[in-house]
Amino acid sequence: MTDETASPHSAGTLQLVSRGTYVREWLLAALFFVCAFMFVVAVALIFVFVGVKAWPIVTDYGLGKFITGTVWSSASNTFGILPLIAGSFLVTLGALALGTPLAVGTAVFLSDVASPRVRSFVRPAVELLAGVPSVVYGFFGIVLLRAIVARFSGTLGFGAFTAWIVLAIMIVPTIAALSEDALRSVPEGIREASYAMGATQWQTIHKVVVPAAKIGIIDAIILGMGRAIGETMAVLMVVGNAPVFPKGIFAPLATMTTQIVMDMPYAVGLHRTALFAMAAMLFLFSMLLVAAVRLLSRLRG
Amino acid sequence: MHPLTLFALVLALAVGGLSLAGCGAVSTRGNTLNVSGSTTILPIAEESADAFKALHPGTTVLVSGLGSSAGIEAVSAGTADIGTSSRDLKPEEDKLGLVDFPIAYDGIAVIVSPDNPVHALTMAQLREIFTGKITNWKQVGGEDRTVEVVNRDEASGTREAFQKLVMAGATFDAAATVLPGTGQVRDVVARAPGAVGYISLGFVKPRFAGVSVKALSIDGVVPSEKTVADNTYPIGRVLHFFTKGQPTGLTKEFVDFVLSAKIQRGVVIDAGFIPIAEGGKR
Repeated sequence: MTDETASPHSAGTLQLVSRGTYVREWLLAALFFVCAFMFVVAVALIFVFVGVKAWPIVTDYGLGKFITGTVWSSASNTFGILPLIAGSFLVTLGALALGTPLAVGTAVFLSDVASPRVRSFVRPAVELLAGVPSVVYGFFGIVLLRAIVARFSGTLGFGAFTAWIVLAIMIVPTIAALSEDALRSVPEGIREASYAMGATQWQTIHKVVVPAAKIGIIDAIILGMGRAIGETMAVLMVVGNAPVFPKGIFAPLATMTTQIVMDMPYAVGLHRTALFAMAAMLFLFSMLLVAAVRLLSRLRG
Repeated sequence: MHPLTLFALVLALAVGGLSLAGCGAVSTRGNTLNVSGSTTILPIAEESADAFKALHPGTTVLVSGLGSSAGIEAVSAGTADIGTSSRDLKPEEDKLGLVDFPIAYDGIAVIVSPDNPVHALTMAQLREIFTGKITNWKQVGGEDRTVEVVNRDEASGTREAFQKLVMAGATFDAAATVLPGTGQVRDVVARAPGAVGYISLGFVKPRFAGVSVKALSIDGVVPSEKTVADNTYPIGRVLHFFTKGQPTGLTKEFVDFVLSAKIQRGVVIDAGFIPIAEGGKR
């Protein structure tokens, strides 16, 4: 009996599990590799596709004229994206300026101030905001917010200001959740040391915890910026879609993403190429943002 | 089954599905008719589709409104059976092999809020408003209030027609607000005392929304079905169905159905347009 069970050992190798298990393990490893690999291939293919489609803008139109041109008009085959780049940054930076204090404040509240009971309903509320589809924010923006802005500004209410508010609400959950992670990863001992020195709660948060989590918070803000600059649907519904340098924060403007959506259904020829080139620009911006995040996390490490 | 094995199976299916998705984009037609294009024609197309489906059980008519240019693009690419358009074909679209079926007449109304005291404009004033030369309502006899121009997107057939009939070669003010739908233009203009926009005559009456807008008379002519059909109102146009080559089968049946007296005297008039047979002078 005992000899029978011990017999596999006589094969020379120590086999703790059956051959079937080894095969399954190998297959799973291969499967996960395929998953990851397909994703990389997909990103590479999109990049190549957009690049190839956008390339004629360099050969047929001129990159300089494309990037520094100030007129976007498909009727006259003129495609200068400077007003659209300006629009994207105006909308994004404004939203960040409004949303960041709110988000970081929320994160500090959740990690250092709120009692577990309060936290247990504030956190799900913030997470819920992250899950609302952007078209719903856009709808809220166009129906409610635009009308209010129209009333106090005396314009139609389309423009950067309305977009700022809608986008700020949208990026708060992203920035808040990531900032909270950063704040929580600050060791409890540091807080205790601060209190032991006689610091108040505000002094501890302001002078110790937030500075310690600084890089993580900046990380969160950059990712929030990525979300804001790429956001399309909600912005499209409230900016007024005029591809010009806006005359003010209550005047209509367009961003790169909204112009792509507006023009996509009917663009042909050079116009279509210009849209792909704009997509490539967006690709470039998001790559820069990802690179910034990588660089920061290396600093943190 | 072991949970991990199950997970692996699901993943394998997902990966397989992803790689297959690229090849499976060809749609099967059969009893499905795809009607795509102008948002202006949407009410006619949708009502006709419902009546057509009731008469022909088992058929599906998919109607979508993405703009006239998108409709012409879709029918020439074969992704739609009928492309609907509120503008004529451009010269470069003549060689696409599309067959034109005019289905109704439409007038474009210039609309303002009911609170705006201005009732009439000349074509020249209208043009100067949309090029951005006239910026205050007092320049055309109204209150001292900034003119807020609301334009349509470039895929819009209404914009094409407006540009052709009103602008006479002049370009639109690029800084004007651009909205991607008739309903949005109507809603925004109705609530803003300084706004001016243009929509199909069929959408002026408050059947779709609780708010009302005021249509201006142009060169002294009040826009109405009568003035559009007898061609005295200056901003009128023809609505089209386009098919790729002579239509056959279900496509032909649907085109004939829309041109039948039942739809022309019912749906077309109800939607605020002018039946094609009655306006035959143009």
